This record gives sequence, structure tokens and C-alpha cells, in this order.
Amino acid sequence: MVLKGEATLAAVEDHHYQISSEPISARRKNTGRWLLALATLGLVATLVFQIMTTHGGSISSLSANWRPMVYAYLVWSVAMGISQVLRRGEAGLQALFVLPAVLFTIAVVVFPTLFGFYIASLDWNLSSVEGPHFNGFANFVQLFHDAYYWNAMLNMIYYVVAVLAEYAIAFALALLLNSEIRARKFFRVAFLLPFMLSPVAVSWMIGKSIMEYRFGPAATLARHLGWSQPAFFANPWTARISIEALDAWVFIPFLMILLLAGLQALPREVQEAAKVDGASGWQGFWLVTFPLMLPVSITALIIRIIFKLKLADIVINITSGGPGGATDTVSSYIYRVYRDRANVGYGTALAVLYLIIIILFLTVLIRTTGKWTRDSTRGA
Amino acid sequence: MRVEIYDRLMAMQRSRRQVLKGAAGAASIAALSSTGVLGSSLGALAAEMSPDEVALRKAIVQIPGVGKGSPTDADWQKVGEMCLGATKANVKEGEFKGVELTFMGLNNQNLHDFLFRGFLKPWEAYTGAKINWIDLAQADYNPRLQQSIATGTVDFDILEMGAPFEGDVGSKGLMSEMPDWVKQQIDFEDLVNYLKPPVGTWDGKQLRVTVDGDTHNFNYRSDYFTDENLAKAWKDEGHAGDWAVPTTWQKVQEVTKFLKGKKDPLTGGDAYGYLDAPKPWGGFGFYFLESRATAYAKYPGQKAWLFDVDTMKPRVNSPAFVRAIQDVIDALPSEPPNQINADPNETCFSQWLGGTGSMLAWWGDAGSNAKTSDSSIVGDVCAFSILPGSDDVYNSQTGKWEKLASGPNFAPNCAYLGWGVYVTKRVDGDSAKHKAAWSAAAHLGGKDLSLWTVMYPSGFQPYRNSHFIIPEWVNAGYDEGFIKSYLDSEGDSYNHPNAAVEPRIPGIFQYYSVAEDILANTFAGKMTAQEGADAIAAAWEKLTDQLGRDQQIKLYKASLGM
Repeated sequence: MVLKGEATLAAVEDHHYQISSEPISARRKNTGRWLLALATLGLVATLVFQIMTTHGGSISSLSANWRPMVYAYLVWSVAMGISQVLRRGEAGLQALFVLPAVLFTIAVVVFPTLFGFYIASLDWNLSSVEGPHFNGFANFVQLFHDAYYWNAMLNMIYYVVAVLAEYAIAFALALLLNSEIRARKFFRVAFLLPFMLSPVAVSWMIGKSIMEYRFGPAATLARHLGWSQPAFFANPWTARISIEALDAWVFIPFLMILLLAGLQALPREVQEAAKVDGASGWQGFWLVTFPLMLPVSITALIIRIIFKLKLADIVINITSGGPGGATDTVSSYIYRVYRDRANVGYGTALAVLYLIIIILFLTVLIRTTGKWTRDSTRGA
Repeated sequence: MRVEIYDRLMAMQRSRRQVLKGAAGAASIAALSSTGVLGSSLGALAAEMSPDEVALRKAIVQIPGVGKGSPTDADWQKVGEMCLGATKANVKEGEFKGVELTFMGLNNQNLHDFLFRGFLKPWEAYTGAKINWIDLAQADYNPRLQQSIATGTVDFDILEMGAPFEGDVGSKGLMSEMPDWVKQQIDFEDLVNYLKPPVGTWDGKQLRVTVDGDTHNFNYRSDYFTDENLAKAWKDEGHAGDWAVPTTWQKVQEVTKFLKGKKDPLTGGDAYGYLDAPKPWGGFGFYFLESRATAYAKYPGQKAWLFDVDTMKPRVNSPAFVRAIQDVIDALPSEPPNQINADPNETCFSQWLGGTGSMLAWWGDAGSNAKTSDSSIVGDVCAFSILPGSDDVYNSQTGKWEKLASGPNFAPNCAYLGWGVYVTKRVDGDSAKHKAAWSAAAHLGGKDLSLWTVMYPSGFQPYRNSHFIIPEWVNAGYDEGFIKSYLDSEGDSYNHPNAAVEPRIPGIFQYYSVAEDILANTFAGKMTAQEGADAIAAAWEKLTDQLGRDQQIKLYKASLGM
């Protein structure tokens, strides 16, 4: 009985993984093709109908009536799935496992990105009586002469460089929490608290209250320490450093927790071997721990840089980019162009270029650091 | 009848019959009054009101009473309940049962919508209607409104909106026209003149129930200008004239520089003069440069002052505005050290009310909050006037600075023209909704209820002739000298023959927003005043082209009544 049962199980497993080799009839394939063709026709017809029936094909009217397109896309997606099964049989069935994710990604990532490129090519101010109209690359030409955009970009370089200082602090804290200190668990939670706070709350509680010039405790302390006029946001570099300090305070715990996880995963034997070989504490860190931590460090830094490139909330709340654009970020500038000035086309163009720059920068960064990490760890 | 009462009535151009009616009313109110002050100038009050109305107004302004802490939701509901009489005259109980309306407004300083909710709660209970709320921060207001307009997704029936946006909604035909019964219910004729049409209208149709009047007035600290030590120092340092409240921007500059290094007579901390607001504030910060510039730029008899009427060529880089920008640059080193990072919200609600600085241009909130806000320490040392003038004024037509024979040029900045409650066209197809929406708007803009809103923290300033009756304010607990100074500064600004009135053109806040950005850089020393002004002018020209120059010219002329 046992043997029989095992044989049955094997048969079931064989059947489960076996791809049907039954031939698919030409009629069934044709049905699949026709179904997909009809659904595609319906999708295109809906799009054309919507453009034709709105006022001069205006983008605003189109976006106001987005539902028919969504329904048409859903119908097309279902038809696409059925068509896959009809035309490809078992392989089509397997495709159904992936297809929903692909179609969803197209709907919420690929299409909006392409649509963003389209909007970036429009002269579209929400208050314009004439509505949007195509102006090619004019927005991109304009942004190359936009001193405010490039000023914000320069600030982003400063902010990104400052990530290295955040990393050093986070690493030190991670080492501290990885060692045998008293109340270690408490400190792990306590150090994480800033990361749990909303940057908006941090802006108000710290930037606009604790660091307030007249009555803020930080300003009072600074006066006691001899700084007669402790205005944290009045001078360009002081303001930049203050904003960076606030952002760092929020995000260092995030870096720290990633690094701590990396440290805890390191085999203790390596450090013990280094000690046996007579390595000092610094040598043990610099020549053993640090190189071994490079893969984790690079990952943590890249994630942190991505967060940093999106810095906006603290700046908007505390300085509005001032004084004189000293703390402005690309995101906070886009926010003003898009929101305060309703300049949708130009604002989108700014965002699109920024996206491209970020993608290029991160690609180069990942490749360079990846190579460097491999070389370093190999050397270690 | 006293001579001053008679003069006031004559000034208000009352008919003989109204004068007699006023005299009769005055007698009845005098009988109601237990204060000697109230009986001193009752003519104007009595001219319009029945004894019942007088009694109602007397009762509501004592909720909770000036100096008795900030009002709460319970107070707002109580006032709303007491002022339901006008609604009851036009709407039966439960008439709007099943009607649901959406109201979009602001949540600044926990006022605006917060008050409206309280005021409308008894209205909802009486009429049976239900109101859903969309609350927006000031800075979010413009983008939310513009997106709704541009994408055709107006999802609100009632809208709290400032007159500058009338160009945006009016040109798209999105608003419902006010019915006549609403005009009567709110006593439309009681509005001060500068808020009457064309303000609140589009294409000749009345669109808004006004709930606010706006102008920048000049707030100053009386203790500074009566301080003997400062007066002595002023003389000792060789300044011309007596130590007194500045009446021109030239003197404001001189006083601001003089006060650096002195001590504040109230707090004992550092003394400061004028408080500028250099940090951007969603476009609203530009009004504060305007307030410094109008006396230089608004030439008597010429309506336009921000653009050339026939071309929309900006005047923001004229010598008048450049001088105003330079004034800010020159004054900033004498202002508090962190001033470059102060927006208007900071200058008023943090610095001014907290006792920093001695001169401030702001909307009337600065004055009303001085007495009624829990955070204010300047209630007893705060006084008011219209904005300072200038010894000379720039004539854009001749391109020259001129000294007027009449003396300094004054041009109060009637910035923003006040908030109003508007009803959208969404309700026009449904008679019950239409009436309900307009009834709610009329309740909020009711004559008696408005008296309460202008006396207490609400975000709204006096906007009716009936708001200028000093005894009613005294009855609420205001000091007579304080309130006379406050109301005079407001009323004299509204009625000034050379007032600079806000252009109601589409996208006006885009002009202001881009100007703020450039000004912030100019104030930070990245460019000169002239370079900054030229950059603003260039950006404005570009924006006008983007929005449609011909259309903007047409609407600019309309907004100036040309």
C-alpha cells in the first residue's frame, strides 16, 4: 500500500509539472487572435472616441473622463489573458501568473511615465484660458536656462555629499549598539525613534520651535555658549547645515539599522582571528570589519541617497528654499513651480529631467561601487 | 442729538426719514445700555436696527467677551444659533432634509472652516441639510482650486474664496448667481463701498456673499513712541522732528535704523522697528512688498499701478518698486537677525503678537488678535493708522518723481479684497440644493453674525458700515481708544480716494509667487534691487504671454472698472 501510495504521488507530481503537448487547433488559435484584436480595437476606439468628444482633444477633459479608458483597459487585459490561453495553451496558462503584474506595472508605472513625458512637452498653465498646447522641447530648453533649477541641483550635490557624514555617524552608532553595552535593546529602540517621526513634525517641532531664534531652547543654549545671534536659518551655509542636520537626524537611524543588521551577520571568528594575529581595535575595524561591511554599506548608502534626492518637506516647511535659494532642493523647487504657479507642463519637464539625472547617476554609482566593492573584498 | 452723530449720519448720506428713524432707535438703545460710553454716539447704530436686533448684537458680542480667552466651538455654535433669525424668515424648519452639500474652505490658524462648522451646525439642525467639509491650508488653497477648475472636477457646492480668484472662476462660468432674496437677507447695501460691484461680480452677475474686508493697515507700538528714553535718544542722535509715529516710509526707514541697539520698552529685549516678511508665503508674501510700494507707485488719479493698462507691461521694475525693494534691503540689517527667514505668518503671529518689533503692515488680523488672542502680549500697547505715505510719488506717465502740493502721497494697499462665500453652478439644476447652498452662504455672511466674526479671531476684518459702530465694540470689552484707532485705520483705508485695489485677473497668484522667489534672492544679496525687479518683470511678461495677453488686458481693465 505504501509503495502504491508513493507511486500515486509521483504520478500526481509528474502530472502537475508536465506541460501539455496536445496540439492547439488552428481554430482555437484564430479565436484567440480575433479576441485580442477585437479588444485592442475597443481600447483604441475608446481612446479615439474620448479624444474626439472632448473639447478639442484637450488633456484636461481627457483626464476628467478617465474612467472609460480604465474600463477599456481592464476588458483588454482580460481578453489578453484569455487570448494567451487560447493561442498558447499550457504556456499561456503559465503566462497568466505573470501577466497581471505586468499589466498592473504598465498601468501605474510605464504609462504614467510616458504620459509624464507627453505632459512635459506641453505649454500647460492651469490658469491659461487657451488650455494646454504642444510646444515640443521648449520646456527643456527653458529649464537649461533656469538658474533656480540649477541652483537647487547644486544644493543637491551638497546634500548628497553630506550623506557620507551621516554614514560615518550611523556606522559609529551601529558599532556601539553591536557591542556589549548596558541597555543595548533600549538604545536600539530609542535611536530608531527619529526615523519613526514624520519629517513634517520634525520641521515644526525642531526647526520652527526648538531652533526658533527668540525662545527656542537650541537658540538659548547657543547664546549661553557664546553665539550672540543664533539664527540657524539666516545665513546660507548655516541654513544649509541646519537643514542637513535635521534631515540627518531623521535618517541616520535608518542607515544605522541597516548597518547594524550587517554587523550582526558578520562571523565573529574573523574578528577573533584578527585579535589572535595581534590586530589593534582600529586595525580590526579598518582592515577587517569595514571591508566585509562594504556590500551592506553600499546598499545602505544608495538607498539613503535615493531618499536624499527626494528631500523637500523639511525645506518647504522651514525655509521655503531660502535664504536666497541656499537650502532649495530640486523637489521643493518643482513643488513651487507646479503648485504655486500651476505651471503643469514646465513643472513636469523639471521632474522628468530630474528623473533621468537620478537614473543615470544611480546607474553609474551602482556600477562603480559594485566594482570597487568586489575589488576591495577580494583584496581583504 | 449730538452734533457728531448728526455729522456721521450726514456723512453716510442718510435720508431725513432715516435720521429720524435713527434718532428713535438711539433712544431705545440708550435705554438698553448700561454703559455711559454706549450712549455717546448711537445715531449710526440706531439708524439701521430694531431694538431686537440691537439686543441680539449686544448679546452675541459678549460671547465669550473680549479678554476672556479665545472663543471655542461651543461659542461659535451659540453665536450661530442666536443669529438664525434671518434664515428662519426665508426657510421653513426641515425644508432641506436630505440635501447634502460640500463646502471647501480654509483651516488657517484653526479658524475659517472651524468657525463655519460651528456657525452652520445650528443651521443644519434647523434646515435638515448636511454639510461635508474640505479643509485646506492657505498654501494649498490656490493649487487645489486651480486643479479643480482646469480638470473640470469641481467637487464642492459652496466655496470660501478671495476676490482675486474671481477671474479664475468667473471667466470659466463656474459660479451660481446670487438670488435677490439672499441680497435682502444679508443686507447687501450695508457693505463698505469698495467691496461693492464690480468686486464680487463677473459679467454683471453678483457671485459672492462677502464675509471679510481686506486692507493692509499700519500697526505700531504706542509704548515705543511715547517712551521718554527713546525720545531723548532720538534728539541726542540729531534726528529731525519729534520722536513720533512715522507717517511716511522715509521716516519708517529712519526709525527702523535708529532703533537698532535700543531696548524694547515692554519686554526689555532688543528693540526693533519695521518688520519685513522676506520669506515666500505661497504668493501672499508679495502683498507686503506692495504695501511698501503703493505710496511710491500709485499716483493720485491713475487707477493702474501694477501693470500698464493697455499692454500689461509690468511696473514692478519701475523706480517706485525698485525703491521699495531697496528699502527692504536697507532695513533688513536693522531687523531681527533671523528676519530673512520670516514669512508674514511669522511676523504677525509670532513676532508682533509676541512683542518683537514696533511697526508692521498686515491685514486687520494683527489688530483683532492683539486683543483677543491668548498668545498676544501687545494688546494694551498696540495702535493703528493707514499705511505710511511717501514724500514723493512716481508718475508712470511722465517717468518722474513728483512732490505733491497736498503733501505726502498715501495709497493704502487694499490687498486681497477679502474672503467671500460663493456657490458653484453644480447646485443650479436642483432647486432644493440651490436654495440650501445660498441659505448657508447667507447665514455665514449675515449682518449680525458678521459683527461677531470681525470682533473675535476669525480671519475676517470689518467689511460693513455697521461694523464701524464703536459703542458695540466697547460693549464687547474693547478699549475705546484702541478700537477707534483700529477701525479708523481700516475704514480710512477702504474709503481712501487713492487706495490701491487688487487686480482680479486670472493667475494673479502665479505672478506673486514667481515674484516672491526672485525677491527672496534679491533680499539675500544675490542681485541688486533693480536686477531683481527686472527679473520679476521678465517673468511676469512671460507669464502674461502664457496666460493670454489680450485676455489679461481685458480682465485687468475690467477689474479696475475701466
